[in-house]
Amino acid sequence: MKLLRCPVNGVRPVSEFAYGGEIRSMPADTCSDIEWAHYVFNRSGVPGVKVEWWYHIASGTWFHAERDTVTDRVLRTWLPGDLPPAADGKAA
Amino acid sequence: MTATMRTSPLAVAVAGRKPELREVHGMPVPARFPGERDTWKATIGICDVSALVRAGLKGPGAEAWLAARNVPVPAAANSWTHAGGGLVARLARTEFLIEDGCDDVAAARLRAELQAGEPGVYPVIRQDCALALAGAAVNELLVQTCNADFASQSAADSIVTLTQMVGVSVTVLRDDRGTVPCYRVWCDGTMGPYFWETLIGIAEELGGGPVGIASLFADTAT
Repeated sequence: MKLLRCPVNGVRPVSEFAYGGEIRSMPADTCSDIEWAHYVFNRSGVPGVKVEWWYHIASGTWFHAERDTVTDRVLRTWLPGDLPPAADGKAA
Repeated sequence: MTATMRTSPLAVAVAGRKPELREVHGMPVPARFPGERDTWKATIGICDVSALVRAGLKGPGAEAWLAARNVPVPAAANSWTHAGGGLVARLARTEFLIEDGCDDVAAARLRAELQAGEPGVYPVIRQDCALALAGAAVNELLVQTCNADFASQSAADSIVTLTQMVGVSVTVLRDDRGTVPCYRVWCDGTMGPYFWETLIGIAEELGGGPVGIASLFADTAT
């Protein structure tokens, strides 16, 4: 069973979570149409460590997760607005 | 003039079993099921307690709002405490569930006061299917239906667990009835009939079944 740590509710099976996508910066409202279209339609598929949105379905908790997409290992999770905890490699 | 009657999310699901109904807080709920005996205490009894009145609120000002009304507020996230005959559960950091007992009116009063509106305090509509799962073998049912480890919890831990059972998002806490282990479970009312039928099926395989609210809550037995 794959496990994920919700910052509020603790370690739970990944079936209790939904993936919300990689966290990306929105371009400024003065950006070009091409830049905006790139932001809306394109995603980076480059493997590596990424910070993503995840959602704990049972409690309605959105949080951040730093995940290595090469190994599918979650390094740490934290709530938006909180400081990320030290990466201990035990989050998943 | 027509009086409005509250309806349990499980009203249709339990009707076929022809229970003796009793009105609790304006909602008819099964008080006893035909042939019901106390043997459920040694196995599993599942009780519809949706009639108990609930109030929900969330927001950065929710904790102070409750404290100003002398409502005991659990200090830690995902913990709960008794309040009169009912309970106060803290869900995450800034969301609360208050539920009355059979004879309380605290949640009803808070719900009315929430309508006045206050910055940073937001009402949460609670139209839950509320169950009590009780009996010595209740952990066997939880093991079959849920990934959270309830066997390691005791009632004294006062833990609130938000997880999923049989695919349904639930809020669970342990509130024993005397010496009988008892878990309180809330889920979305629209999932209630599926949730009830699934749990009852498993409970009956384990020798238990549905019980009325009069069996679990002595204060409704009259």
